[in-house]
Amino acid sequence: MSGTESNAELVAALLRIADLEARLTEADETLEAIRTGEVDAVVIGGPEGQLIYTLENADRPYRLLIEQMQECAFTLGLDGTILYCNQRLSTLTGVRREALVGRHLQDFVATADRPVFDQLLARGSVIGRSAEFNLITTDAQGGVPVNMSVADMPIEAGMPDLLCGVITDLTRSRKRTDELAAANQQLANEIDERRRTEDKLRLALDAADMGNWDMDLLTGKTTRSARFDQIIGDIGVAQWTPQAAAQLFVDEDRRAVADAFAMAMGSGFIDLEKRIRRRNDGSLRWVQIKGLTFYDEGRPVRIAGVVSDVTDRRLIDEQLRQAQKMEAIGQLTGGVAHDFNNLLMVIAGSLDLLESRVGGDAKTIRYLSTARHGVERGAKLNQQLLAFARRQDLRTESVDIGALLSSFENLLDRAIGETIAVTIKDPPALLHARTDPHQLETAILNLAINARDAMPQGGKLTVSTSMRTIRSKTAALNNTVAGDYVVVTVADTGTGMSAEVVSKVFEPFFTTKEVGKGTGLGLSQVYGFAKQSGGFVTIESVVGEGTSVSIHLPHAEAPSVCADDRAPTREVKGHGTILVVEDDDDVREIASSMLRELGYMVFEADRGNKALTLIDSGAPIDLVFTDVIMPGEVGGIELAREIKANYKHIPVLLTSGYTAQRFQTDDMDEGLQILRKPYNRVDLSLAVKSAIGAER
Amino acid sequence: MTSDAAVPIPDPGRYKLCLFVTGSTPRSARAIENMQKICDENLHGRYDLEIIDVYENPEATRDLQIIATPTLVKILPEPLRRIIGDLSDKERVLAGLNLAPVGAAHNRSK
Repeated sequence: MSGTESNAELVAALLRIADLEARLTEADETLEAIRTGEVDAVVIGGPEGQLIYTLENADRPYRLLIEQMQECAFTLGLDGTILYCNQRLSTLTGVRREALVGRHLQDFVATADRPVFDQLLARGSVIGRSAEFNLITTDAQGGVPVNMSVADMPIEAGMPDLLCGVITDLTRSRKRTDELAAANQQLANEIDERRRTEDKLRLALDAADMGNWDMDLLTGKTTRSARFDQIIGDIGVAQWTPQAAAQLFVDEDRRAVADAFAMAMGSGFIDLEKRIRRRNDGSLRWVQIKGLTFYDEGRPVRIAGVVSDVTDRRLIDEQLRQAQKMEAIGQLTGGVAHDFNNLLMVIAGSLDLLESRVGGDAKTIRYLSTARHGVERGAKLNQQLLAFARRQDLRTESVDIGALLSSFENLLDRAIGETIAVTIKDPPALLHARTDPHQLETAILNLAINARDAMPQGGKLTVSTSMRTIRSKTAALNNTVAGDYVVVTVADTGTGMSAEVVSKVFEPFFTTKEVGKGTGLGLSQVYGFAKQSGGFVTIESVVGEGTSVSIHLPHAEAPSVCADDRAPTREVKGHGTILVVEDDDDVREIASSMLRELGYMVFEADRGNKALTLIDSGAPIDLVFTDVIMPGEVGGIELAREIKANYKHIPVLLTSGYTAQRFQTDDMDEGLQILRKPYNRVDLSLAVKSAIGAER
Repeated sequence: MTSDAAVPIPDPGRYKLCLFVTGSTPRSARAIENMQKICDENLHGRYDLEIIDVYENPEATRDLQIIATPTLVKILPEPLRRIIGDLSDKERVLAGLNLAPVGAAHNRSK
C-alpha cells in the first residue's frame, strides 16, 4: 500500500520536475536568444499597454522602402518643421536634404494654398487627412500640383506628437487627366463632326429626293431612311436583302434586279433603273438604285447606296425624245415639201403652157384636166406636209371659236356620215383664239374624219370648247409658254388606241388605216398647225372607250375690225420688162414662159449676183421676180435689199415654196410681196400686176 | 500498419501554431520563411499557422506572454511551447514541436 503511494508521489514529483525543466529550458533559450541578438524586438507590458521596442537594426527595411518610393515621405513637428524627409522630397523641391531638414514645410506652400495647408496641420481632425495644393519648387513655374496626406503619431506621454506625411507629385496624373480630357474632347469633336456630316448628307439626300439604304451581307441587318420607305411605299418590309429587293420589282424586271445585285458582289457597284409596283398604292414607279459594295479581305460584306423615284424624270425624258423626234421629222418633211413644190411648179406651169398651145380636142382637154387635178392634189398634200413642218403660211387672226364651229356644223355632219351623232357644244362664253381659221377648220375636219374611221359601227362625236389656264410646269412639258388657252376638244366613242400607237400618231404617214384609206397626214397637220399657232395638242385614248384630242390655242381678245377682201380669179395680162431670178432651170423656164404669154418682156438670171450685174448694166427693168432661196452669197432677200437700197423705183416680187420661213423683213418696205409656190398663171398674173401696180 | 508504428505522435490532431513577428524586420522575415518550410516538410496538410504582426496588434502578445519577436508558439497539441528566434535551427524547432525529423522517424521505426 504505502509502497504504491510513495511510487505515485515519486511519479508526480518526476513529472513536475520535467515540466519545470522544460520551462527552465524555454526561459534559458529566450534569454540566450535575446543575449545573442536573435530577436528584432522586445515586448514590454505596462499599464499603458504592450509596447514594442525594435532593436537598432530592425528599421532598415523601412528606411530602404521609404527612400525607394516615388512619394515624398517626411515627419513634421506640430509647427511644420521638417524633422525627417526622404530623398524624393529633396528632389521635388530642388533643395538639398541637409538644407531641407529643419525648415518649415510651409515655406514651400503658395500663399493662396496656405489655409488648406494649415487645415492639414491642425490636429484633432480626422486621423488620416489629405488635401491638394501647389508645392513651390526651384524649377517649376507656379509650383507642382501635389497631394499631401498626414497622420498624427503620438510618441509618449509628455512628449509632443509628430506628424507623418506623404506628398504625391500629381504632375503626371494631372497630365494624364488632361490628356484624357483632351482625348475626350477630341472624341466629342469627332462625333460632332460626324453628326454634322451625317446632317449634311441627310440634307443633300433630302434635296436630291433620295432615300438611302445599307445592307449587311453577313448578318442580314439593314438600315433604311424614311424616304426610302416612302419611295418603295413600304409597309412592313422586314429586311432589305438582295432577295427582298428583287421581290419589290415587277415580274419582268425581277430577274435583272437579282442579277444586278449578284454582279455587285464582284464589280463593287450597283446601278439599276427598273420598275416597282409600289407596295402601299400599287402604282407602277420607275426607281433608280445606286450603291457600292464594301469588302473585308476580299469578301463582300456590305452594300450601301441610295434610291430615287425617277418616274417623273423618265416621263419628261420620254416627252423630250418625242418632241425631238417630231422636230427632226418636221425638218425632213419641210425639206421634202420644198423640193416637191418645185416639181409641182414645173408640172403646173408646163400644163398651163401646153393648154394654150395645143388644140381644143376633147381628149387633150380631158388629159390636161386630169393632169392639173393631179397637181392640185399634190399641192394639197404638200400643204399638209408644210403644215406639219410648221412652214405653212399661217394667216392668224383673232377667231371667234364658237362662231367658227357653228358655221362648220353642217359640213361636219355631211363629212362623217349617218351613223354618227355629232354634237357641237357651245362654248361657255365668247372665246377668241389667235389662229388661222382655215387651218383650224382643216384640223377639226381631220380629227372628225379620224373619229369617224374609229367608229365603223357608229357612235358619238363631240366637239367642245373650253378655257384652260396652263401653268409653267405643264407649259414646259409641252414646249410652250404658261397662260390662257382656248381648248377645242374632239372626242369620239370609238375603238381607242394603245399607248404605243398614241406615241406615234402625230408622225407623218403613220396610219392604222388600210392602205389607200388615209394619207397619214391628218394628225400631223393638227400637230404642226397647233404648234405653229403657239399652242399644242394633247391626246387621251382608252382602248375600247374612245379617243379625245384637244387642240390648245392661245387665247386672244376679240378683234376690233374684220376685213375681208377676196382676190379676183381671172388672169390679168400686162406689159413691161421683168427680170426672173431662179436657180432651178425648169422653174425659171416655166415662169419666164408664163410671163411672156401674159405679155411681158423677160430677162433671166440663175443667181442673185448675176441679177444685180444685169440691173447695174442699166437694163430697163420694171419688176424683179425672184426666188427666196438660191445658192450663192446673194439670196432673194439680199437681192431685194440691194434693189431697195440702190434702185428704189424697181419693185420686187418674191416667190418661195417655204412660205412660212422667218424672213428678216423687219427693215423692208411693207410693199414687199410673196407669191407662194406652186402658183398657176392666174396667181402669177395677179401678183405681178399688183407688184408693178403698187409702184406706179 | 507499418505507418502507424512510424508516426511518432500518438495523437493525429491538427497543429495550431502562432508566429509573432515585427513587420518585415530581417529576423521576422527569416522566421516566416523557415516556418513555412518546416511546416511543408513535416506537417503537410495538418496545421493552421497564424502570423501575427505585433506592430499591428500589440495586445495579442499579452495572453501568450510574448516578450520578444520572432517567437513561435505551439498552442495545440498541448503542452504550450514557445520557440524564440528566427527558427533557423531546425532540430531545435522540431524538438520544440515534439516532432522528429521525417528521415529520423523513419530510421527509428526500423
